[in-house]
Amino acid sequence: MHSDPWEVLRSLPMGERVEITAPSGRIWTGTIVPRHELSGARILVLKLETGYNIGVRIEPEARYRRLGPLHSPAPGSSSGGPVPDAPPSGSWVALLTTGGTIASRVDYETGGVRPVKEEREILEFYPEMEATGPVHIIPVFDRLSEDLVPDDWVVLGEKIVDAFRAGARGAVVAHGTDTLGFTAAGLSFLLADLPGPVVLVGAQRSPDRPSSDGAPNLQAAVEVARRAALGEVVVVMHAGPSDDRFAIHRGTWVRKMHSSRRDAFRSRNGPPLGYLEGGDLRLDLEVRPPSKGPARVDGPLDGRAGLLWFYPGLSPQKAAQFAHDLRGIVLAGTGLGHVASSHVPWIREAVGRGVVVAMTTQCLEGMADPYVYATGRELAQAGVVYLGDLLPETAYAKLLWALGRSSHRAEVERLLLTDRAHEFQLRHQDREAP
Amino acid sequence: MKAGLEVHQQLSTGKLFCSCPSELSEEVRGSFARKLRAASGESRAVDAAAALAASRRLVYRYETGPYDCLVEMDEEPPHPINPDALDTALTIALLLGAHPLDEIVVMRKIVVDGSNTSGFQRTALVAVDGHLEVRGKRFSIPTICLEEDAARRISERPGEIVYRLDRLGIPLIEVSTGPEISEGREGREVAEEIGALLRATHAVRRGIGTIREDVNVSIEGGHRIEIKGVQELRKIQQYIDSEVERQRLLLSVRDALRGQGARPPDHAPVELSDLFETVATGPLSAGARKGGVVLGLALPGFAGRLKSPEGTEERLGRELADQARSVGLRGLLHSDELPGHGVEASHVARVRETLELAPLDAFVLVTDRDRARLELALGRVAVRAAAALEGIPGETRDPLPDGRTRFSRPLPGGDRMYPETDIPPIAVTPELLARLAGSLPERPGALRARLAAEYGLPPEVAGQIVGGALAETFESLAKRGRPPALVARLLTQDLPSIPSPSERSEPFEPSVELLDALLRGPEEGRFAKEGMPAVLAALAAGAPSLEAALARAGLSGLSDAELDAIVQRVVRENAGLIAERGEAAFSPLMGDVMHEVRGRRDGKVIAEALRRALAPAQPSA
Repeated sequence: MHSDPWEVLRSLPMGERVEITAPSGRIWTGTIVPRHELSGARILVLKLETGYNIGVRIEPEARYRRLGPLHSPAPGSSSGGPVPDAPPSGSWVALLTTGGTIASRVDYETGGVRPVKEEREILEFYPEMEATGPVHIIPVFDRLSEDLVPDDWVVLGEKIVDAFRAGARGAVVAHGTDTLGFTAAGLSFLLADLPGPVVLVGAQRSPDRPSSDGAPNLQAAVEVARRAALGEVVVVMHAGPSDDRFAIHRGTWVRKMHSSRRDAFRSRNGPPLGYLEGGDLRLDLEVRPPSKGPARVDGPLDGRAGLLWFYPGLSPQKAAQFAHDLRGIVLAGTGLGHVASSHVPWIREAVGRGVVVAMTTQCLEGMADPYVYATGRELAQAGVVYLGDLLPETAYAKLLWALGRSSHRAEVERLLLTDRAHEFQLRHQDREAP
Repeated sequence: MKAGLEVHQQLSTGKLFCSCPSELSEEVRGSFARKLRAASGESRAVDAAAALAASRRLVYRYETGPYDCLVEMDEEPPHPINPDALDTALTIALLLGAHPLDEIVVMRKIVVDGSNTSGFQRTALVAVDGHLEVRGKRFSIPTICLEEDAARRISERPGEIVYRLDRLGIPLIEVSTGPEISEGREGREVAEEIGALLRATHAVRRGIGTIREDVNVSIEGGHRIEIKGVQELRKIQQYIDSEVERQRLLLSVRDALRGQGARPPDHAPVELSDLFETVATGPLSAGARKGGVVLGLALPGFAGRLKSPEGTEERLGRELADQARSVGLRGLLHSDELPGHGVEASHVARVRETLELAPLDAFVLVTDRDRARLELALGRVAVRAAAALEGIPGETRDPLPDGRTRFSRPLPGGDRMYPETDIPPIAVTPELLARLAGSLPERPGALRARLAAEYGLPPEVAGQIVGGALAETFESLAKRGRPPALVARLLTQDLPSIPSPSERSEPFEPSVELLDALLRGPEEGRFAKEGMPAVLAALAAGAPSLEAALARAGLSGLSDAELDAIVQRVVRENAGLIAERGEAAFSPLMGDVMHEVRGRRDGKVIAEALRRALAPAQPSA
């Protein structure tokens, strides 16, 4: 009786060495490694002695021989002892980990990158992190940033406040880059009376690559957290393709502007607050100085808000439906902040119900201004609040925060229009596009 | 002696994982700087070669230009594999009778010398178990891989290496032979045959640096040594022979070391800076002036075995110095070459005293401002010295212009490979293989035989045409009615004699139409056969048309009337000679006329014109 060899081989443990004899007589010897999730049917992936992986189709007539497990070092055994629970004495920086590429490694099973589960792995990747002083690791989440929700910002904010209260000089948040801009804006509004910098940092290349930007970014972020005289939330990432210059962006001005470049994060409407270059820390703009503290979280957030990108053809019914059960909505309008005039009726109706409707520009740079065109004037008359040069994401984060502070539309609108975290830029000087 | 080859050929299909062309350029548009770290693979082990490179703590600067994009900058994920490059690799596999894999997995091969911005080279095993016959001997082709070429190294200064991104990502086909080459000459011939096969696909880049060989050599009792990046086929023989010589010498040094009781170094390096404050010249004086540190290491029982034995250039001292160079030092001094290099006998005596050396003990000295670098260097020297007692350590070595080689890095192992997760596995379908099998180019052997038979070419000329991938051009010209011998001469002699383009410049590749017009030139009386090289040179130098080339070579515009005028003038000027010698005056006069018009008209036409001019002048018989 001949059973299908594929059924046995597919269930053998990873790391088992096998010899496969194809019906043609061709013999393959190698170690079973995980199949790629996009591998074809009946493909067994073997690692040959040369290090190459190959896909071998296991025909029903194939024969195989098991050669026992290949010796390999146990995962995680290469370095790093247990992570101490208590913060070190003296001047230290808190490193709060949330997952994301900066704390990910290649998952050979799925072919993608996955967050590390153990904080020990962070130290394994970044042994040089403590070059200029102690860093205390505080694991918060282990999720990719697209899986984080606004309530997670509150949890993160509380951990940051705890760290400052325990004596941290500054806090670094290792975060996935996809929604890092949202979290930076959210924390900018949530955190108050910060006695030191809160530095969000990420990586565009996973740390298992020799060219990862994770290590230089993290080191730069720790430096800024340790040395900068700042009492606000910033993002520190590559300023260009080189590994020797890092931009310090205000949390409310920054946006991920490229899907893969190291310097994806850009301040909109003006230059970054400053740079860290060759060990020199430079702040070019006026910043919020460190507070005497104690740090606190000015929550809660009210999640009943939405962000809607207007596009030609968006039906007023769809938009009204989207706004139906929300307390507030940010529109990313065209140009100076417009939507088709056919949307005015539902907006007027929503505002009448007490819904806050705020306008930003999908141009991402420049002001939203209702007075230049008739459509803008009509929208303003319908009750739309124009939020000047705020990024749509920043406006959304601010709306969540403002809704959490008040149940009255007028008060929420007043909060939206009041500067809280240096989010409004009143001067827009001419400069070359980055 | 056993040797195997890895032939790497660049493809002209465009780059492997982006849409940039396979071209090089001297134009630099910008640059950026990066550092690389040794990362661990699937098994979490760090590769020895990668760890060495990372330990140098270098900054890599990359120049960008017209032939790179965000993919080469490692700022964008790789695009799907270039289908033309994959087709070419599979075509080569089929030509070599190899077995293509069912599913190709692109791997990341960790390379931390900065030549890849990502810190790894993308490479894929495409087929296995091929074979090749050369002069009746069968050579196995265990693997055929498709991989990306590395960035071009432009310059190096302390702490920084500059690369250019244009070459990075150009597809390379790697054809590996089994260790069946038993002499240097055979190595060259196998490489030539593989080269001819690759060129038969018409999808390869041409010119210097577009084909490179790695040579693996081991002798009985030795170890596999990989000589990486040999660019000149004719030197393969020399590298194999000198590597055999090096391994033989090192084995004899091993036996001698054992004979005099040498032991692996077991003492820590000792600081000797104070002893060399009075050194006035040589490497140690330069070090002292810059505030350098001098460290010494004892090599117990190594005295007299670090220098070259009579009649050879190779020596153990050089192997140790290579280790110091591999971490960024200029080299080292060893006791077999001292006193010398500014070091006096008194210095040597004090070093021996400080290190407490016995007469048969040797020592090495290194100097630099960076103490950590010195310790790293001496650590490597100690490991290499210990290995000398065992035999030949496996290494990757760089070829030098003089035919010798130099240590580059430890032989990398399987630990440096892990999957390129940004590229899904690639299925090799029966349909794809059937399509490629249906349009295989003619194998070089068969093509040579056919050209010789069909066109009456001597076998070696047919071989040159096939080896140079010129068969298609040759046949289309011959089919247009050009004489095969003349075509063969043009392609195998006149064209190659044009000064060879550098790796950087475009090779001169005239179209079939232009070559046809060129060959018709003498038939149509536009210029003489002898003028061919001059016309070709003008075309290669950029003449936009045949007419322009003729003008530039001074070969145009000699009409029958102008020829007659020159001939009659020569006849007039030599009336005395003609009167004196009669018909015998033809030869010297022909010489004079040819001197003036050579290459502008065919010799036969000139001779006729001269005869016509002489006829009335001669006295009647």
